[in-house]
Amino acid sequence: MNATEMAQPADQNNQYARNENRASTRIELAGCTKTFPDGTRALLPFDLTINGGETLVLLGPSGCGKTTILRLIAGLEFPDAGGKITFGDDDVTRQSIEKRRVGMVFQSYALFPNMTVAENVAYGLKVQKVERRERDERVRAMLEMMHIDMLADRRIDQLSGGQRQRVALARAIALRPRVLLLDEPLTALDAKLRVRLRSEINGLLRKLGITAIYVTHDQEEAMALGDRIVVMQKGSIAQIGTPREIYRAPVSPFVADFVGASNRLEGRIEQDSLVLGDVKIALDQIGHAISTGGSQHGKGDDGDIPAEVFFRADGLAICDPEQAQLRGRVEAVSYLGEKSRLTVSGIGESPVTLDVDPDYQIAVGDDIHCCFNSERLTVFTRNMDADCREKAV
Amino acid sequence: MRRGYSFYAQLGLTVLLCLFIVVPIVMSALAGVTVNIFKGVSSGLTLRWIFEVWDLYAQSILLSLWLAVACLVVTTLAGVPLAYVLVRRPNRLTRMFEEILTLPVAIPGLALALALLITYGGFGSFRSSWVFILIGHVLFTLPFMVRSVAAVMSAMDMKTLEEGAASLGAGFWHRFLHVIVPNAMPGILAGALMVVTLSIGEFNLTWMLHTPLTKTLPVGLADSYASMRLEIGSAYTLIFFVLIMPLLIAMQMLARPGKKRHTASQLAEDE
Ligand SMILES: Nc1ncnc2c1ncn2[C@@H]1O[C@H](COP(=O)(O)OP(=O)(O)OP(=O)(O)O)[C@@H](O)[C@H]1O
Ligand SMILES: [Mg+2]
Repeated sequence: MNATEMAQPADQNNQYARNENRASTRIELAGCTKTFPDGTRALLPFDLTINGGETLVLLGPSGCGKTTILRLIAGLEFPDAGGKITFGDDDVTRQSIEKRRVGMVFQSYALFPNMTVAENVAYGLKVQKVERRERDERVRAMLEMMHIDMLADRRIDQLSGGQRQRVALARAIALRPRVLLLDEPLTALDAKLRVRLRSEINGLLRKLGITAIYVTHDQEEAMALGDRIVVMQKGSIAQIGTPREIYRAPVSPFVADFVGASNRLEGRIEQDSLVLGDVKIALDQIGHAISTGGSQHGKGDDGDIPAEVFFRADGLAICDPEQAQLRGRVEAVSYLGEKSRLTVSGIGESPVTLDVDPDYQIAVGDDIHCCFNSERLTVFTRNMDADCREKAV
Repeated sequence: MRRGYSFYAQLGLTVLLCLFIVVPIVMSALAGVTVNIFKGVSSGLTLRWIFEVWDLYAQSILLSLWLAVACLVVTTLAGVPLAYVLVRRPNRLTRMFEEILTLPVAIPGLALALALLITYGGFGSFRSSWVFILIGHVLFTLPFMVRSVAAVMSAMDMKTLEEGAASLGAGFWHRFLHVIVPNAMPGILAGALMVVTLSIGEFNLTWMLHTPLTKTLPVGLADSYASMRLEIGSAYTLIFFVLIMPLLIAMQMLARPGKKRHTASQLAEDE
């Protein structure tokens, strides 16, 4: 693509960004709950603020209520009595989707099969009675920005999945909505395309400066796109934070586990140390520790507090036998190119994973000696989690 | 590959069966243009009977065409929204309604006609107008339109399509007319052909409902068989065929998936 071709759409976008960025819409949900007619309590009471121009990612396992929050913001569902939704200074709680000026991108694209690509993108402009000349101009600019101008006259059933998603994006932003809502837009695509489109969407959102809410169950996607991430668990918000906070400082075992700290060991806290079997680690060396702060029911018989330890494959490393804290047996080795991932038994109740140099000579059945990388451990006192589980629906 | 005995046996059987069906049709058509059927084709061919049928039954034929068009208009205007509601809001009530809607197909036309006569027969001018027959035809053909449209509608993800359109600011009618209807067009077309074909050919119900002034094509056909010479009856059959065949062929073509798509996209382009 040459320079002149690039210049045109870029200008368009800048103008767009100038128009919208200053006034990008802040969204507030206050005291919202959602109960479906069949009695399903999809969302427990929550408050959520999305800053103007921010990309907020809703992350969580299937059925936790991500789509429901998105649909509340869109106006496709309405919160139970008492909930309030505002876009900037407008109270939109009872406003229908047609009036809210939201752009939506669906997992299934929801493109109109009876229209061409250009007609799909023009649809919203037609509904808003934008005058023909301006409409054509804006459609052309949108298609160019999404690099699908050569597909303008294609029918939807003649497009690939990635192209469809681009059309869906173009259609959603052609109307310059106050907020862009994306519900797992990349789930239907293959891994490679997903990564490419992800970074395109990222660039697009930054360029437009539009307030965006992005739903996904893919932790990596959430990290890559979100200014902030909302981790959801069974209809309530488990944690809100920047990707770094969520990754390094999860507030509960659920969040730790969901964002990829899949190794879990059980131990206890003795005075100022974490005790895991024979290993004792001073608490002040541990990367991230959350205690229940003297809660009574947390204590064991001897006054020690049971603890749960979570870590990723970098929380444990092979070290000298003399200094080793742990011994284990290799159950499986998977070569991943830039590293090898070992599955090791004998350390906790269930096997743990750790990464080694791919050239390190090791085979299934070997005994290995490891040390904790205490900076990378996340520790929770155990009963806190049990309480949480009980509270959840 | 050598074709065995069984292939030829099957071929023979198929040809025989076809002949069994086709020969009477050809004979009947031939009879309609033969000068004197008792002397055979050797007596010469003529269009005289066709003209005579037209003189005698033009009224009936035109009424049938008119009824078919009116029936099509009514079933389309009622059937497309009905199908939409049935697919979009599947609950006990709508399912019950669908069952009731299908009843006229299961009940013999004669019984349905009798029910209509008992109920509305007393309203003299209504009873003797073509509208009375139209109502019978609509009752009988509406389920076919609804079924055909509903089948296409349930195959497309209407809910998401509508939500997409709504997010772009489109109100209900805009969504319905510009997104739902164009995408349901293959079903509407198939239903329309079915309705027209059924309406033109309907006899049972119409025979009960008709008055001397509201005789339709098939009723006239029965009349001509009963009281005219054989050549006229046959010529009448020929006219009926000429009317109905293109509809049947169009229906076949619509049912072929490749064609269906083609038609759908062409229609959309016109839109
Ligand atoms: N229309 C509805 N009627 C009743 N229950 C519903 C309805 N829509 C969603 N639910 C329920 O609400 C809960 C949350 O659903 P939601 O679609 O928000 O989940 P999600 O986080 O988007 O999951 P996924 O990742 O699978 O899309 C689920 O238990 C679901 O079964
Ligand atoms: Mg969802």
